[in-house]
Amino acid sequence: MDATTAMYVAQGIHGLAYGMVLFLVASGLTLIFGMMGILNVAHTAFFMLSAYFCYQVVAWTGSFWLALLLAPIATAIVGILVERFLLRRIHAFGLLFELTLTIGVMFVIMEAVKVFWGTENLPLPVPSLLEGLVSIGGMDYPIYRLFIIGLSLVILGFLAFILYKTRMGMVVRAAVSDADMVNALGINVPRLFMFVFGVGTWLAGLAGVAIAPILTVFPGLADQMGMDAFIVVIVGGFGSLGGALMVAIISGLLSSYGVQFVSQLAPVLMFIFMAVVLAIKPTGFFGEREG
Amino acid sequence: MKMTKRISSAIIVLCSLCLLGLPQAMAANAAFDVNKMADMSDFDPNHPVIPTGDTIKIALVASFSGPAAVVGQIYWISVQWAAHDINKRGGILVDGKRKLVQVIKADHQSRVDVCKKVCERMVLQEKVHVLWGTDGSHLMKVINQVANKYKVIALCAASLSDDLYDAQNFSRYSFMTSFSTEQIGRAFAYYYGQMRKKEKKFYILCQDYLFGHQMAEGFKKGLKEYYPDAKIVGEDYHRLFLTDFAPYLTKIKASGAEVIYTGDWIPDAANLLKQARQMGIKLPFANTFMDEPNFLHAVGVKGTNGLVHVSQYGVEGGAFKTPEQIKYYKAWNDLWKAGKWGAPYNSRLYEHGTGNIGAYRAQTYWLLSVIERAGSTKAKKIIKVFEGDTYQYVIGKVMEMRACDHKAVQDLHIELYVPPAEQRQSFNIPPYYWYKGYSVTGPSFKIPRDKVLPKADPKLCK
Repeated sequence: MDATTAMYVAQGIHGLAYGMVLFLVASGLTLIFGMMGILNVAHTAFFMLSAYFCYQVVAWTGSFWLALLLAPIATAIVGILVERFLLRRIHAFGLLFELTLTIGVMFVIMEAVKVFWGTENLPLPVPSLLEGLVSIGGMDYPIYRLFIIGLSLVILGFLAFILYKTRMGMVVRAAVSDADMVNALGINVPRLFMFVFGVGTWLAGLAGVAIAPILTVFPGLADQMGMDAFIVVIVGGFGSLGGALMVAIISGLLSSYGVQFVSQLAPVLMFIFMAVVLAIKPTGFFGEREG
Repeated sequence: MKMTKRISSAIIVLCSLCLLGLPQAMAANAAFDVNKMADMSDFDPNHPVIPTGDTIKIALVASFSGPAAVVGQIYWISVQWAAHDINKRGGILVDGKRKLVQVIKADHQSRVDVCKKVCERMVLQEKVHVLWGTDGSHLMKVINQVANKYKVIALCAASLSDDLYDAQNFSRYSFMTSFSTEQIGRAFAYYYGQMRKKEKKFYILCQDYLFGHQMAEGFKKGLKEYYPDAKIVGEDYHRLFLTDFAPYLTKIKASGAEVIYTGDWIPDAANLLKQARQMGIKLPFANTFMDEPNFLHAVGVKGTNGLVHVSQYGVEGGAFKTPEQIKYYKAWNDLWKAGKWGAPYNSRLYEHGTGNIGAYRAQTYWLLSVIERAGSTKAKKIIKVFEGDTYQYVIGKVMEMRACDHKAVQDLHIELYVPPAEQRQSFNIPPYYWYKGYSVTGPSFKIPRDKVLPKADPKLCK
């Protein structure tokens, strides 16, 4: 592969890698909105919390792999507790109350990480197994970024399997369409909501762990990722996993090829894309509910 | 033969004096005297002794909450150190009596509206004499406006934008003791063009807002002046708090650049370096914010080797040239090593008290020295002393406050990051390295003050 081709291919893979991380974050967000109608503003705070959990597990055990397993689960448990003891109590009062509550949860998490871990930038190394570069057609590419793509694809497959091949998935999809009807059929919808909220925060947690080794963990991590994730959900269409996947990848590619070809516009390309899509289709690509 | 011996002796004495920095001491109006420093063994930034009553009040306007809270913590320990020292000496004689120094936290939360409110509260309610700031030139601008409105002194110790002190924004109540964007850029250009004379291809990557653009402009201006043969092979501006630098780094790699010049601050600076090394890009970064120990430690000895850093608290050769300098260093480092400070001040970020922390401490000592010599907390009297003042830091560096626009004139230092074994060039006392886990300051090169004069608005400085 000649140098120019290698550069274009590398930009494509960068876009894909970033897009897949975005998808991991956005999928949880869109799943929660689609199912429960809650715009969980605290979602990226859960993403950040998981990165901190990951840092802590690695600090204690030295094992990234254990962190990859435990940190998202710990985050999901926090998410489940939030749903069970806070959100469920005010669900009947409507969207505005839920929105306000999630904003509150976000601030609590953001302050809590400072209390427990301080305000400094906490670095996390790439696990030794995934360090270094691999040659793809003569082009050197970081192994860890390929791992992120692979991990996201596995999670995507897992989600697709659960949603489309299991009874649980069928119930979730039905509840997305009509929660009242599902409730009337004898399904314990509050428990289902709790499960979905847990899965959503688990996905955010997984993204937090995946991205921690290429960033520093600090109290602003939620802001760093938050805007992009919300754009993906809005443009993809609230509640649409397929939309989130498509827009996340488009976003990643826009970001990388934008830098390559129109670098001056790169910081705003995603916003232009969002404006154009929403001007034509206000519900986003695959959205049925308005945000 | 005797004559030769005499000449040799004279040369040796002269050289010794030069090394000790005595000519600079003689030039300065005032200097920090370590021998007068109080016993600091009871200093604890988490439990500071706060004097009350009739005090000299300094409002420390900074981020004490939100993502940038670490910055406020850094300022706090630095300013509180100087205040503690002065207070233990019995305070400063002003307005006819000895007064202690009281430092008050003023959290601007990185927000302009909050900054204005908190500054006004500090002036009107707390009756502070000085507003000390801050992280963010847009916030420093607000501080200066409040200082100007209520006629109190503002000290710009941490904001770097040149525009703060142009004719449009200038306030006679505000003084910039930090270095500035153009100085930083020109210092690098001077180093590469007039001293190193090796790399010729530079790539500029900065944050896409006023500060980032000013950092880039300073470097470009410097290259024109000091290195006309240099070539800028690429120039990009990325959004703040960027997650993924890979697309920029791929472009840089393809450009054939030999040096990446960046004005990024942390976390962007940390993520940029970390991701570059993960992608196998070993190019040196010319920067001023890649000095945070925690992330440098994560990047490791190899990844940080060859970084080029500009410092406003640097010295040529060994950092410890006199017993006084060692005493000053140990006063801080011994407390840190003894584990007397709790979190967050027990992390390696606070181990040495040099770098930016050293600069903030020194700038505060300068301010307090000016107040002492003014013999008053009244702004007009302080201004009179501050304008044109010269002050020597403990490291031997002499600062000069340019009277026409209130910007500090100073030598800067380019520091090359080298592995621990080579750090003894800078850390010239046991254990002969700054940090074992990464590369940091080794050789250091002085950029003379006349080569990096702060940008001057002709409307202010003729």
